[in-house]
Amino acid sequence: MRFKSSFLTLTFSAALATSAQAQSGQSQIVLAVPQFPTPKNVKTDGGETGVIGIQIAQQIVSDLRTTRAIYPTGPDGLRHYTPTEAGAPLYPNWAGIGAGALVTGYVQARDDGRINVVCYLYDLKTRREMTRKGFAVDANDWKRAAHRCAGAFYTAVTKRPGLFDSRITYVAATGTRTQPVKRIAIMNWDGTDHNYLTQGGVTVTSPRLSPDGEHVVYMSFAGGMPNLRIMDADGSNDRQLLQSTSMSFAPRFSPDGRSIAFSMAVDGNTDIYVVDSNGGFPRRLTTAPGIDTSPSFSPDGRQIAFESDRSGTQQIYVMNSDGSIQHRISFGGGSNSSPVWSPDGDRIAFARWTGANIAIGVMSPAGGDEKMLTSGWQDEAPSWSPDSEWVMFQRTKQGTGTGSLQMVSIGGGEPKAVATPQPAADPSWSGVVE
Amino acid sequence: MIARALILASALFACSASAQGYQPYPYPPPPAPGYPPPGYPQGPGTYPPGPVLAIPVLEQDLRVKAGSDTVRFGRDSYVLTPQSQATLTAQAQWLIQHPYVNASIEGHADVRQTRDYALALGERRAASVRNYLIASGVPPEQLQIVSWGRERPTSDGVHDATWLQNSRVVTVLKQPPQQLQPWMPEPQPQPQPQQ
Repeated sequence: MRFKSSFLTLTFSAALATSAQAQSGQSQIVLAVPQFPTPKNVKTDGGETGVIGIQIAQQIVSDLRTTRAIYPTGPDGLRHYTPTEAGAPLYPNWAGIGAGALVTGYVQARDDGRINVVCYLYDLKTRREMTRKGFAVDANDWKRAAHRCAGAFYTAVTKRPGLFDSRITYVAATGTRTQPVKRIAIMNWDGTDHNYLTQGGVTVTSPRLSPDGEHVVYMSFAGGMPNLRIMDADGSNDRQLLQSTSMSFAPRFSPDGRSIAFSMAVDGNTDIYVVDSNGGFPRRLTTAPGIDTSPSFSPDGRQIAFESDRSGTQQIYVMNSDGSIQHRISFGGGSNSSPVWSPDGDRIAFARWTGANIAIGVMSPAGGDEKMLTSGWQDEAPSWSPDSEWVMFQRTKQGTGTGSLQMVSIGGGEPKAVATPQPAADPSWSGVVE
Repeated sequence: MIARALILASALFACSASAQGYQPYPYPPPPAPGYPPPGYPQGPGTYPPGPVLAIPVLEQDLRVKAGSDTVRFGRDSYVLTPQSQATLTAQAQWLIQHPYVNASIEGHADVRQTRDYALALGERRAASVRNYLIASGVPPEQLQIVSWGRERPTSDGVHDATWLQNSRVVTVLKQPPQQLQPWMPEPQPQPQPQQ
């Protein structure tokens, strides 16, 4: 990247300038986010464009404040500027605000009732543009545009995907333990825009978001038999994925979203299959007697991690995505299940049963480098954050059996609870749309 | 041959069911007070049958005659214990004597299995039970299997100390599909059985 070298010095000086905020051993960039101007204040469905401009700046600050790499300031206390200046900042006017980088942009009403949101990131030291984004969105969707801007800035600074526009689907569990009511829910990564996609009449499990966040594949007991269904992420267009009378479950999208790996059980033998996301005839990948399930693609789509009890206990295996070269990678003790490949490809998260509890760990795709991250009574169903920094999982409380979503940093530390309106299970975190 | 007998049986059932004001499958009536009316044919020897008894009544009969509608397993296991085999042998006899009732063999796993594996294990257990029943003479078309994974723990198995109780297969009776039913009425308010 051509900005990289200049940027490194920038972060270094920024960290020096703001050593109060900088965490030990970590460079942090101070980012000024003044409010977005509008060429003409127009009333839209989402409010006046001038107000949206303030809200977008606030949202960007709020998003970036959750990161360690960026310390955002504003929009209060920062000077106003004109939409013309957004694309050509007057650098001398931004000197002396103690920031290493500047966010500008504008909000403009369109003739069709939507709005244009344009945002830029400038390196104040080298006086160069680092990235820019432009969106034409419904006025009510200004927040998503703000999330995407924040994500682009985070990516420009850290070279990692930002989480801000990512979504989480999970199973909301109410009712009693013997008669649970399960609904598929979806929300933004920060818990906003929470919606239910199924209504609880039928037991559902294992919702998985497609990489673009547009579709959800899940398992349903509709018709009395576990089978896979797929729907749009707003709950519409719900349909059965397979024309099969055998039970199918454990779905997961390939990284390009074009195919879905899953398990099908026929007469006591569960194997892994792949099918086109639009349906069609599934292709069988494993034939071992015993249970092969929980497939998860590598980010390049060339390999699949899965669990199998062919050795006598559940263990984690990796194979090529055509089913060849199946080999075991988990040798760290206990029975190991639910492998999920990290988006950066470096690790596989898994759940380990020790005989007394189930815990979440990570290992390298070649096996080894194991690290256990949690020590709950029952922690399972891992799912990666888009930046591969966090593992979200389901924690079941001893005694009540109540489930909740938690996330733990792969660096270690205590898990943090993810707020959901009801007890929750089976999280799936989407990728990030660039 | 059996299929033809089943069709005939269900045709008979369809006529008599509507005459009696019953709701046919898939809307089986919940048991009402005084239900079933006394004097309805019970047990074997009435084939081809008159009106099929309500499923809860038949299930009670199965539990009494076979000892249990449930067989249990150890963790991760799908092996039938001698006790389970005795129960299933009795269940098989009952099913052979009631050819006009289908059975759904429902496999479960305990709540401390991971979700995907629990579904697979429930299916493996159900398949093991079905195969035993078929070997004991039950016609395969009378049986279907389904796995509930860990989604339906029993009331016995919700406590931490007893979670293994959920490793089980339950034989759930179903009326055969109404093959000749040309039209399925909407669910109606529950009609009271005629005394």
